[in-house]
Amino acid sequence: MKDNRNQPFNQQYELKNAPPSAELENTPDGGEEYSLNDDRRVKVLSPGAMVAKRFFRNRIAVLGLVILSFMFLFSFVGGLIMPYAEDQLFYRTEYQNKEYAGVVKNDELRFETADGQSFDSAAQAYTVLALQQNKDSFEFLGVEYKIVTEGEDLYRITDAAGTTLGIAFKDVVASSVEGQNISFDLRLSALKASANGDASFTVDGVSYELDENGVLTSGGDEIAFISRYVVNPIMSDVFLSRDFKEQLIVSLEEGHDAFKFTDADGTESEYKINYRADVKTWSVMKATETRTYDTYASPNRKHWLGTDRNGMDMLTRLMYGGRVSLLIGFIVELIASVLGMIMGGVAGYFGKWVDNLIMRIVDIFYCIPSLPIIIILGAAMDALSVPPKLRMIYLMLILGFLGWPSMARLIRGQILSLREQEFMVATEAGGINVSRRIFKHLVPNVIPQMIVSVSMGIGSTIITEATLSFLGLGVKFPFASWGNIINDVNNTYVLTNFWFIWIPAGLLILLTVLAFNLIGDGLRDAFDPKMKR
Amino acid sequence: MTTEYNTTAGVPAAGKSEDILVVNNLKKYFPIKGGIFGRQVGTVKAVDDVSFRIKRGTTMGLVGESGCGKSTVGRTILRLNDKTAGEVLFDGVDIFALSREKLRRMRPKLQIIFQDPYSSLSPRLPIREIIGEGVREHGIVPNAELDDYLSDIMKKCGLQEFHKDRYPHEFSGGQRQRICIARALAMNPEFILCDEPVSALDVSIQAQIINLLNDLQNQFGLTYLFISHDLSVVEHISDTVGVMYLGSLVEYAETTKIFDKPLHPYTQALFSAIPVPDPNYKMNRIVLEGSIPSPANPPSGCKFHTRCQNCMEVCKYVSPEWIEVENGHFCACHLHNNAEQNAAAQETMEKAKADGKK
Repeated sequence: MKDNRNQPFNQQYELKNAPPSAELENTPDGGEEYSLNDDRRVKVLSPGAMVAKRFFRNRIAVLGLVILSFMFLFSFVGGLIMPYAEDQLFYRTEYQNKEYAGVVKNDELRFETADGQSFDSAAQAYTVLALQQNKDSFEFLGVEYKIVTEGEDLYRITDAAGTTLGIAFKDVVASSVEGQNISFDLRLSALKASANGDASFTVDGVSYELDENGVLTSGGDEIAFISRYVVNPIMSDVFLSRDFKEQLIVSLEEGHDAFKFTDADGTESEYKINYRADVKTWSVMKATETRTYDTYASPNRKHWLGTDRNGMDMLTRLMYGGRVSLLIGFIVELIASVLGMIMGGVAGYFGKWVDNLIMRIVDIFYCIPSLPIIIILGAAMDALSVPPKLRMIYLMLILGFLGWPSMARLIRGQILSLREQEFMVATEAGGINVSRRIFKHLVPNVIPQMIVSVSMGIGSTIITEATLSFLGLGVKFPFASWGNIINDVNNTYVLTNFWFIWIPAGLLILLTVLAFNLIGDGLRDAFDPKMKR
Repeated sequence: MTTEYNTTAGVPAAGKSEDILVVNNLKKYFPIKGGIFGRQVGTVKAVDDVSFRIKRGTTMGLVGESGCGKSTVGRTILRLNDKTAGEVLFDGVDIFALSREKLRRMRPKLQIIFQDPYSSLSPRLPIREIIGEGVREHGIVPNAELDDYLSDIMKKCGLQEFHKDRYPHEFSGGQRQRICIARALAMNPEFILCDEPVSALDVSIQAQIINLLNDLQNQFGLTYLFISHDLSVVEHISDTVGVMYLGSLVEYAETTKIFDKPLHPYTQALFSAIPVPDPNYKMNRIVLEGSIPSPANPPSGCKFHTRCQNCMEVCKYVSPEWIEVENGHFCACHLHNNAEQNAAAQETMEKAKADGKK
């Protein structure tokens, strides 16, 4: 019916008269001849694959991705590899010199009264006097005493009848066994043997041996130790073994000022000897082990980045802190973007009063000064002593709830412009149902902007969390976060002396936020279809 | 492999009226909001009292200047906009009386092809989804046959099977427009609104698309409302032509009649602007003075009187009636009034003048 018209006046007329199959450039007419620029030779890329391709061509963005991957490995895998727990405390042993024993060289005569005899101190004084005058007898209160020299610095005092009243001596017989007394007879015999250099003697039918070091044994059992030195412990509950005394005296005589001694339990300790001339006493100091928290330890083989003020391993804390910081970043952004998506989507899609209402709510949220609110809430949680774990969850909720308006605004703007696009009119004309229109046509077109905004947002959330934790309002001990690690630096002393406390944590925050921003920029460029590279 | 899906759309079923689409006194006014409280301070009369009917299996062309309301008419017919007044009957069913769900079920029968093939395809869906989602949504073919059906439709529209997994950004403008056509065609429509489908394409591609539309019409018996400001295209494709000026239809007739003998001064001016590919041809351009008036504040009387070369006194006061000058040739102009109508118009003018002077 239209073919009858015969008014050719433009180029289309020529074209329309050509056979239809020749006009349709892609009509498959059975021929399988494909030209060089055939579509089938070109690899088909979905929009997602194109974005990935463009993203991976952006070197700086890939650098961001590498940094971020490292951060994830460091935080989530590192914590598993590290042998230490998040809040494991470390101790260090310190040695303190404590006064342990006192040593006096006995230069005065000591007296011992024989069993059942009387030999009082006045008589003892006369004995000293008589010895100084080289007399071998003296009279005191009408009683005659005789002094029998038994050896060097060993005297036996008898009465006129020759009964032994007591002995005067300078060498000390110290019992080797704790709590055991040495009888008068044994003491006398031992001192005699020591003075005369006898190797053995018998008292009350028991035979004793004495070696050149002054060790008195009986049938192999140590009984006592004879020495000119008197060794007394400073602490009354400490018993000084014969071995210790022997070694101490040997060191003294050889003029050493320190020696090592392994006690019966097998612990070796170091002892120092000081001679105090004013009281003519050697004081023995023992280096005692004390366990303290290993705070602010410099980096070493055990703690690669040292320890913090609580004595926890810094590297481990950084790993666990990374977990918390990244997790908070992600969860907060997740909450914010889900809320923002719903609110912005509803506002943009339905428009009219719904849009008006939601946007006014957004405006109100923008008016809320978020930092004071968070500070107040933090203080309130302090006052209510909320458990640290719960506190962390609250923090995420609060930050997420304060963060959605900007996302909502972004999404709304996008939806508003998309809604008027012709492909949305086409879905309306095609009778496509509402949910499919929203989730298949609108959402995929909003996702790019959302991803960019979220990846940038995570960075700033990490910063916010660090700030709050630094102020002591965010993540609390025992949980670590990069922010509260830096919180340790609250004075110049720590700042200047313990670089390993704050530099690594600061660096991690810096790198992570930088990485998120680089990725965000890279994604924005990649999602921009106008960027052809 | 290629199953023929014969549509029954082209065969007028018994009992169905000959006119597939009837538009009666359609009006669409857009409010102008202003002031602090967003009060309505005026209306843009985008479509002001338009009536026409389209016969099954034919094409009606709708022409006019930019901004004269052609697209708004189209979109209002499909109820993509709300109407202000009037009625639209599709197969005797009032489109605006349908519930949302019934309208949604009705949608496949009325399809649309857009002017801009770039913004009318969802950028993140593969072609398979773009064309097939409506088919699946409305269960036009069983799911098992969907793939073959799509291949078939795409071939008919000059696309190839392997294009299915591609995304819109991989196609040229002409190919995209074919995709749009395939999307509309896949719904098994009876009526397609072609909203300037070729104006964004270059001339050689325009011809391809026009021929494709023609072929498809012959094959499926489709009905088109073809909106365009390109008169030669309209002349080529249309059976009847309506000419719009400032929201109203000024002339309507069969294509041959209206091109042979345009009655309305606006139509005459419009058609005189059709270029002729002959350098020696002396064109008798009727040059219209001024620009199209604002539809928010249209002139009184005949809307065209401000630019009309044949303007009479009566035109300034009385808007002309829609009269059938010849058989099937409608026009709204005082030049073609009969005596009775002229008398009535004069009377109205006198009254208006008298009112105006007070």
